[in-house]
Amino acid sequence: MEFFTKFPVMERSALADLRKGIDFVFRDFSRSYGDAIEAFFDPVLFFLVRFEKIMINTPWPIIIIIICSLAWIGSRSWKLVLGTAISFFLIGYFGMWKDCMATVAIITVCVIICMAVGIPMGILMARSNRVEKTMLPILDMMQTIPSFVYLIPILMLLGIGKVPGLIAICIYAVPPIIRLTNLGIREVDKETIEASEAFGATKIQKLKTVQIPLALPTVFAGVNQTIMMALAMVVIASMIGVKGLGVPILRAVMNQYLALGLFNGLAIVAIAIIFDRISQEYGRRIQKHRGIKK
Amino acid sequence: MKIKNIILSALVVLGFISFNGVANAGCGKLVVAEQNWASAELMANVDKIILEKGYGCEVELVPGATMPTFTSMNDKGTPDMNPEQWANAVVEPLKEAVSAGRIIVANKAPITGLGEGWWITPGTIKKYPQIKGMTAVEILKHPEWFPSKEDPSKGAFVGCPAGWGCQIANANLFRAFEMEKKGWVLIDPGSAAGLDGTISKAADSGSPWFGYYWNPTSMVGKYDLQPVDFGVPYAGAENWNNCIMLPDEQCANPKASAWTKSEVNSIVSANFAKTGGKDILSYVEKRTYPGPVMNGMLVYMADNQAKGSDAAVEFLKKHEDIWTKWVSSSVAKKVKAGL
Repeated sequence: MEFFTKFPVMERSALADLRKGIDFVFRDFSRSYGDAIEAFFDPVLFFLVRFEKIMINTPWPIIIIIICSLAWIGSRSWKLVLGTAISFFLIGYFGMWKDCMATVAIITVCVIICMAVGIPMGILMARSNRVEKTMLPILDMMQTIPSFVYLIPILMLLGIGKVPGLIAICIYAVPPIIRLTNLGIREVDKETIEASEAFGATKIQKLKTVQIPLALPTVFAGVNQTIMMALAMVVIASMIGVKGLGVPILRAVMNQYLALGLFNGLAIVAIAIIFDRISQEYGRRIQKHRGIKK
Repeated sequence: MKIKNIILSALVVLGFISFNGVANAGCGKLVVAEQNWASAELMANVDKIILEKGYGCEVELVPGATMPTFTSMNDKGTPDMNPEQWANAVVEPLKEAVSAGRIIVANKAPITGLGEGWWITPGTIKKYPQIKGMTAVEILKHPEWFPSKEDPSKGAFVGCPAGWGCQIANANLFRAFEMEKKGWVLIDPGSAAGLDGTISKAADSGSPWFGYYWNPTSMVGKYDLQPVDFGVPYAGAENWNNCIMLPDEQCANPKASAWTKSEVNSIVSANFAKTGGKDILSYVEKRTYPGPVMNGMLVYMADNQAKGSDAAVEFLKKHEDIWTKWVSSSVAKKVKAGL
């Protein structure tokens, strides 16, 4: 009867040994390879530090002009440009300019890395069913595993700072772009592909001239989602020493500073909305000239 | 017949009560606060075992934390004892309660060598032997010993996580010691896990580390962190409370100062003194854990993920030389027998 009422648990000391064993193996691994892995990421760190310095040291009117012109190029909408300008003015006026620039810098680098890794990965998944089958559970895990769980090994391996923060953000933010690139290419019209094959297109030609252009709107939806998720991770990244809007939010949470938390939280929302609208409008515009209306 | 029965049973009950009274030798029921961090858990459980086995008290542990436990002791008179009360948080109300006789400070320093401050890792001393015995003021002249990852031309000083009181204090001391001018950056580790992470990473790889930490903790014990003398005296409560502890816009001219002394007491209620009696009060008074021993126990707890009750037994078994000095030899014998 006892078998049914009491779950057969692994012996306590064995369980403790197992946990300790895993910890020790990883500790040995990080002791012997930590420096090498850190050195591998040095170029990224160099780029991150430079980029953040440029963002912070450039006079604010120039930054606002650059962001507004990006908004114009992306959306061709005066309303959006005006909204962008006002949001950034308010962020600066409430004393959050420096933190905001640090956040924009790290998010930009994260999104670039996610695109560089995610789009080829998505293409690979679209071309092979086997790759898709192995990747899907990995992507599920990346999106659902609590971020604090992978913060522990990242901390042990790389310490605190920008690079570990960047990795934590990318783990969370890269799945949507992989998924949607895969989906976009798989959803390209069969007949269009047949037509291109009939004209004797090679695999590369087919990919470059048919599949990717037709999948582009879906890929852009993926980029958009990646930006959103990267911004959502800003606060958690601050817990391992990434500067930016997350730091004052942590301070606010610890001390119940309502206004401080609200200001910085809203600043993140403002950045998110601006990037979201710009990338969405851009995605819509590249569809428009093909005559697809939404 | 009936009356006889009643008298008989009454006698039996009375006999039990008086017998119990003799066994407990003037000790009744006591409630001890078990606060939610490792060293407090350990102390509460050691007290429970010694008071129960050695003095025959009946001890109940209740969970607690600095402020709620103190408030309850002050207003309601229960729990009867808080083995590790951080007094800086409750300076004024504690003074008042002591003068009104509600609370007795039974032990002014239950753990030696404790407090907050600046520390270096042993790896630092190995790499730069000349740092041994240097004060903070002297170390600050050598930012090149602690290159920052993001800007190697500057020295990294690891401060306190965002949102903690010590973050503000460290930021103000950073200004007071003019560390920016001397080529330092203040690193915000973001969280307790981040701060611990920088230490364990530096200690594991043997690289230098300089920053803020506090004692007693398993980190200090595990990695053998070395405290750094500030090289300047404590510059007074006025400077500390009205400038260093306030956000930088309210602290225009911070003065360089050593860290304020942390005061930890074992406090007991008036009821504890009454039910416990002199013997037990003198036990609490003598019960001082040497800092390194406490740190060793905290490392044991962290390594084995041990609860306070397990750690208390481990302590009593392993460190007999320490705790037997707190009690009379007859009590020590009883405790040993009860383990």
